[in-house]
Amino acid sequence: MLITCPYCGPRDVSEYSYQGDANRRRPDPASTDQAAWNAYVYDRVNTAGDHKEYWQHSAGCRVHLAVTRNTLTHKISSVAIARDVVVAERKEAAQ
Amino acid sequence: MSPRRTSAGGRIDRTRSIRFTFDGVSYSGHAGDTLASALLANGVSLFGRSFKYHRPRGVLAAGIDEPNALVTIVKGEEREPNIPATMLEIYDGLATVSQNRFPSLAFDVGAINALGGRALAAGFYYKTFMGPVIGPLKGTRFWMFCEHFIRRAAGLGRAGTAFDTSRYERMNAFCDVLVVGAGPAGLSAAKAAAQTGARVMLADLDAVMGGSANWSSETIDGTPAASWAAETVASLAACDNVRLLPRTTVWGYYDDNTLGALERVTDHKAAIRKGEPRHRHWAIRAGKVILATGAFERPLVFPDNDRPGVLLASAAQRYVNEFGVLPGEKIAVFTNCDSAYGAAEALHAAGARIMAIVDVRTSASEDARRIAASVGGEHLLGHAVVETEGGKTVTGIKVQPFDPVAKRLSGHARHLDADCLIVSGGWSPVVHLASQAGAIPKWDETLQAFLPAEPSQPWVGAGAFNGHYDTATAIAEGAAAGGATTDEDSLPAIGNAAPASPPAAVFEIRASGKSFVDYQHDVTAEDVRLAHREGFISVEHLKRYTTLGMATDQGKTSNVPGLAIMADATGRTIPETGTTRFRPPFTPVSIGSLAAERFGEIRPERLTPMHDWHVAQGATMFAAGLWYRPQIYGKPGENIEQAYVREARATRTDAGIVDVSTLGKIAVQGPDAAELLDRVYTNLFSTLPVNKARYGLMLREEGIAFDDGTTWRLGENDFLMTTTTANAGKVMQHLEYYLDVVWPELKVQVTSVSDQWAGAAIGGPKARQILAACVTGTAVDDDALPFMGIVHGEIAGAPVMICRLSFSGEMAFEVYCGAGHGLHVWEALIEAGKPFGLVPYGLEALGTLRIEKGHVTGAEIDGRTTARDLHLSWMLSKKKPYIGSQMIEREGLVSPNRIQLVGVVSLDNRPLNGGSHIVERLDVQNPHDSIGHVSSVCYAPALGKYIGLALVKGGKARHGTRAFVSDPLRNRFGPIEIVSHHFFDPEGKRMHG
Amino acid sequence: MVEMLSPLAPVWRPGPHGDLSAGIGVVMSETQPGSIVQLAAWPGETAGMLAAIDGHTGLSLPDIPGGGVSTETKAAFGFAPGKFLVVDEAEGLAESLSEAIPASLGTVTDLSHGRTALRLAGPKAEWVLAKFFAVDFSLPVFPVGKAVSTGHHDIFALIQRTAPDAFDLYIYRSYARAFWTALGHACEEVGYEVR
Repeated sequence: MLITCPYCGPRDVSEYSYQGDANRRRPDPASTDQAAWNAYVYDRVNTAGDHKEYWQHSAGCRVHLAVTRNTLTHKISSVAIARDVVVAERKEAAQ
Repeated sequence: MSPRRTSAGGRIDRTRSIRFTFDGVSYSGHAGDTLASALLANGVSLFGRSFKYHRPRGVLAAGIDEPNALVTIVKGEEREPNIPATMLEIYDGLATVSQNRFPSLAFDVGAINALGGRALAAGFYYKTFMGPVIGPLKGTRFWMFCEHFIRRAAGLGRAGTAFDTSRYERMNAFCDVLVVGAGPAGLSAAKAAAQTGARVMLADLDAVMGGSANWSSETIDGTPAASWAAETVASLAACDNVRLLPRTTVWGYYDDNTLGALERVTDHKAAIRKGEPRHRHWAIRAGKVILATGAFERPLVFPDNDRPGVLLASAAQRYVNEFGVLPGEKIAVFTNCDSAYGAAEALHAAGARIMAIVDVRTSASEDARRIAASVGGEHLLGHAVVETEGGKTVTGIKVQPFDPVAKRLSGHARHLDADCLIVSGGWSPVVHLASQAGAIPKWDETLQAFLPAEPSQPWVGAGAFNGHYDTATAIAEGAAAGGATTDEDSLPAIGNAAPASPPAAVFEIRASGKSFVDYQHDVTAEDVRLAHREGFISVEHLKRYTTLGMATDQGKTSNVPGLAIMADATGRTIPETGTTRFRPPFTPVSIGSLAAERFGEIRPERLTPMHDWHVAQGATMFAAGLWYRPQIYGKPGENIEQAYVREARATRTDAGIVDVSTLGKIAVQGPDAAELLDRVYTNLFSTLPVNKARYGLMLREEGIAFDDGTTWRLGENDFLMTTTTANAGKVMQHLEYYLDVVWPELKVQVTSVSDQWAGAAIGGPKARQILAACVTGTAVDDDALPFMGIVHGEIAGAPVMICRLSFSGEMAFEVYCGAGHGLHVWEALIEAGKPFGLVPYGLEALGTLRIEKGHVTGAEIDGRTTARDLHLSWMLSKKKPYIGSQMIEREGLVSPNRIQLVGVVSLDNRPLNGGSHIVERLDVQNPHDSIGHVSSVCYAPALGKYIGLALVKGGKARHGTRAFVSDPLRNRFGPIEIVSHHFFDPEGKRMHG
Repeated sequence: MVEMLSPLAPVWRPGPHGDLSAGIGVVMSETQPGSIVQLAAWPGETAGMLAAIDGHTGLSLPDIPGGGVSTETKAAFGFAPGKFLVVDEAEGLAESLSEAIPASLGTVTDLSHGRTALRLAGPKAEWVLAKFFAVDFSLPVFPVGKAVSTGHHDIFALIQRTAPDAFDLYIYRSYARAFWTALGHACEEVGYEVR
């Protein structure tokens, strides 16, 4: 499987580290909502199909990538720098 | 008559003779021969004994599809088994032996298995050896009793046990077009692709590229096909944008057009050049793949079809045309299609007599009739071979009228003379790679073959792979696949074109006797029907129950006939019956080639700047992850315990120094650096003044302790974080993750500087005096360098950073300098310490000193313990949230019954074992009811006792009580006392001076 | 100043090695630059960082992934978004860059001791590198000046092409000896000289 790093180009999956489900949102650090924390720490969606997930290009530029990968076919439909995605999402949420 | 070399013809070099041995007998062959062709040329027709029944076997094929003629190559102590003789190029000094025979190939005791054939039918193992144990010799226990004998009797070659001295390499390659197979289609494709300027790789598993062109009787553009191939290969070799890979099997087709190939670089050489690998594993990433992998000819299934002297028609043609070897003098042909007629013609042309052409079809094409007439012999349409006669080689056949539609024999069998029977049951395109890539093959009723389906990845097929067996189409499809704009006129004209007509749908002639489907695993047609009767009708069950299609050839000749027989048994069609999805590898792959350069040294060594000094001082080096660290600096006559006790004692008495360069070090820089640290550590760092250090603890999100270490504030926006050696990478990734996806608003840069800094920890009552003697540019007294203070100065001219912190419980300092100065500074410290009795100490003493102090490390921060469990709740800030802070109060993490850190003292004055269970009541016979385990152990010179740290349920409440260690694996049981983990100097007076 | 010691000393065997029947395929050397410095721009400050590099070193980097340049004495290249490695034969670059680059632009991290710089040059340099790294080293895809971040199992490497047949590799110092040894092993079949 190849992942096309926006900076480094297509690289073998062995250069990347899976960094988990990208659908979860960390509660506000000061939040005391135990259910929300439990959900953040333990709940995963386990999609059969297109799944948003983080991959770090750990043997390359070390940037975290937001990847949409089909868990049934391994086809990757989008890759972006995770930081950019998170910042854009927050901007959108703030508006 | 036996096979022999023809007086002329073939593509071998008759002027060059090569000596080799088979089963100890010396033979001579020619350059260009395979072991199979050379042995046939020497009249050898018996190559091995079959898997289960030990039947004599010859050579069936001429290439990678060979199921029978497997040999073991012997090089000194090394043995490599299961090499098809058809793929083994001979070289001077090659030594081979046959397999699965005892005591010799010609006289084999195991052949008795053939007499008791029924006993070893499909499912034999399951039926005989599985199930409940009833009585002494049944079921699984019976298997254990019999296994040794069966393993010896049934099987393939025996692997060697000697160390493999060969070298293997891996190569990463990138290309626009990868062409797999260098037959007419592949060569044509590569040529066309090369002309477009693309980067082309052309791989073929044979030594000489050309595929069928090397042995067909055709001409291409008026020249013999083999010459056309050689010229095409030469023109490709002259292109800068083409890489030719002969002797290279593309064996795996993975996602995103990534393919694995094995190049046999030196297997054919008598002498290997320096540094040349035996095999090279190619990991190829291709823009486009052109599959020109050709087709395998199928044998027909009929009684005694495995006798030496029976071989595939195309193989016979290849032996005569490519190797100048006639497989027999009196040849009979048995076929369901036209291509065998071409083989008959070639054998006839080379001087063999064609005794008969037995064709199951009731009528033949004009080509076939013409050839049959020209080669002579009987032309028996609507007939089948029902038996082969002879012992270790064919002496005759029996033929009988046969109805190809009803698939029924009629009339009587009669004898025909023959010393060789060539067989064709039609062709199967080599769709393995396409299938691996995800395309499920489709059955083609006309061609009676599985054809590649729609590509699931960027590949295109050409030639026989597509079921297009004629050379003109192959060349045209190759050119188109390679990107040529097709121009009918520019394609070469084929002369003496081989007859190609679809086969009759006949796979088996049912008559009495063993009819083999899978030669390599001795699976008969009757076995397939037995599987059907017993309900194993899905192809996957069929494979597992009968072992059809398993072993080294993975059913290259047997998959389709086996499927057809099952289809017939179930009354379904072949596509309804199914097909196996092929998985990598296409052919066996040497494990060495996959390990490649990691052979021998499995993982790289990480060395500190002082490594060579440690080794020169006689240190025993110890692998800690990838790092190598001194375990002890043993003196002559000392054992490990004596050495570390001496080192630890000297540190408490005078001073000791230890290399701590392996600690993880991360530069945390930027205006929000302190904020990041507040969020990832449980304690506060934003309040830490510049030039001070603080011990920090990190948790994971779920509140479990993750890592600890000191972090030094070198500037307002500049911190140096240290981590444990083992967790350096994990902590780095942890920080990067939070900065990238959780807190992108923080302006912080983290950089691994583990290798930038060399570190030495020097501790003991005289440590400060030693520093005072060698450090310039700064004072090191209590005022200038208080506990957790940092100063900058020089040692022997090299800049250093010194922090006063202690892991040993002594007055201690960590001295950091640039790694390139590490040895220089270390040696200066050693020199300065000489008058003060400074000793270097290793990991064992380091462990001893920290256990005496009750400091935790990875053995206690083991991914299961919380800060509370380790008595570190004083580090949990209440003033701020941090990673894990919202999860640490959960019920299960605050239970009083959790394991807690304690100290344990051996009461029988014997060493404790790390990992021992701790129990309240000792029961050596039936150990049970563990209340915890020992995590770290040592002999504590400061106490004169064997002690340890342990994690025990409700630990603190047990202080002062007795318990036992229970370690049945190492047979260590004994009484202990549970005490506080602060064994030594609990007030920390020594460290504060 | 105290000399920086090479981690390769015990395995340093100058001269020709391996199969020399076709000449020297690769020359292996350690360049031992005085300074190796990492610069990391804050998001949105990459252009400013490039200008600062240009202003301070005279090296004008193209603003493309892996963009870089090299001269006889200096080299610089991008290896990650907003991140650059600047290398100088002379010591003291970290100090001078720290002064030249304001905190508002990004960070300066001295790696002069932490990375070992190796050079692989010769007609077989691409061939040997391809044994270790799954990166396309062919000249049209990997032109002179360009750099990549990649790894070989546990060994992380930054690689810059400094000439059509020459590459500079920056390896973590602690791995340098193991990698150098493996590199020599891989070079044997093409003949190599340590210089």
